[in-house]
Amino acid sequence: MSRIKAKRVGFRIDMTPMVDVAFLLLTFFMLTTKFRPPEAVRIDLPSSHSLLKLPETDVLTVTVGGDNSFMMGVSSQQSREKIFNSVVRFKLQSAGLSSTAVADSLKHFKLADNFRVDQDELDKFVVMARFANQKLRPVIKADANASFDAVNKVIKVYKKANLLTFNLVTALEKEVR
Amino acid sequence: MGMVDSPSRRSGKKRGSKRSKRLGFHLDMTPMVDVAFLLLTFFMLTTTFSKSNTMEINTPPEKMEVKVVENNVLTLRIADDSMAYCSLGGKAPRRVPLYDSGGNRSALSGELRQLLKQQDSSNKKLVIVVKISEKARYRYLVDIIDELNLMKIERFSLDDYTDQDALEVKRAI
Repeated sequence: MSRIKAKRVGFRIDMTPMVDVAFLLLTFFMLTTKFRPPEAVRIDLPSSHSLLKLPETDVLTVTVGGDNSFMMGVSSQQSREKIFNSVVRFKLQSAGLSSTAVADSLKHFKLADNFRVDQDELDKFVVMARFANQKLRPVIKADANASFDAVNKVIKVYKKANLLTFNLVTALEKEVR
Repeated sequence: MGMVDSPSRRSGKKRGSKRSKRLGFHLDMTPMVDVAFLLLTFFMLTTTFSKSNTMEINTPPEKMEVKVVENNVLTLRIADDSMAYCSLGGKAPRRVPLYDSGGNRSALSGELRQLLKQQDSSNKKLVIVVKISEKARYRYLVDIIDELNLMKIERFSLDDYTDQDALEVKRAI
């Protein structure tokens, strides 16, 4: 009686391929994920049916907040450095900052996505950005409730800098018409 | 799973008589795989391949002037009261609400859409000039361009809203 072993119901599966695929996916997602930096200002984008995508590199973004404040951002660090050297450095030095302090703020400036710009200085920054990188694609990212006046100012600055084709960032509207 | 073989020392010497002693060992990989799956689900759920959508605008250079016959110009003035004032050529503008009241706020009113569509199909040479008051919202601009894009109307341009336009709006019907 006892010689006959009870038939095993449990069974083993080789899980190696599944785990391989899982790790592959894991590494893919870990390497491709870029965490979104916290936004300095919340922008409530207007919606449109446009399907054009924003390019990732060589983008010059002017952000107009709901309170009509201006922010500017350039995607490449080299351009940021050039803008800093040509506009901001001089301002800081004339304000009496030491060279180490200036170097420190350059480091911050290079890492910052956006920086606040005064309305009357916007054209200077845009021209410098254009000068630093000829291939820059101008983009306006404005809050839906920003006044048209503020956006129109940016458009005029772009026009003056001879940037005649530019993009408006919008959120995708799903509703079909 | 998780078996690691190490080469046995006496492999090949005493073949047949005795099986060589296996020095392989099992390693329980379950916790590691658990953590891997946890991370995998985290990254899969948090990743959104989001690239912002954009619409493109071309503006004419400042010095260039294009002459268009007056009757082929449809001027669309947007005043700050979210009303659109359409005028063909030099005629008195017609007042049309920009949005349907109470309805979808991101779609232009049916009346305005119909008017644009009708004007565009009746005149192939029609150019639409959009003038938006400085007191208006930026959203109006995006909604109008979006609407024109959807209607496949490409002949439109933006222009400044001047005092002259404010006067024109006053004599609207």
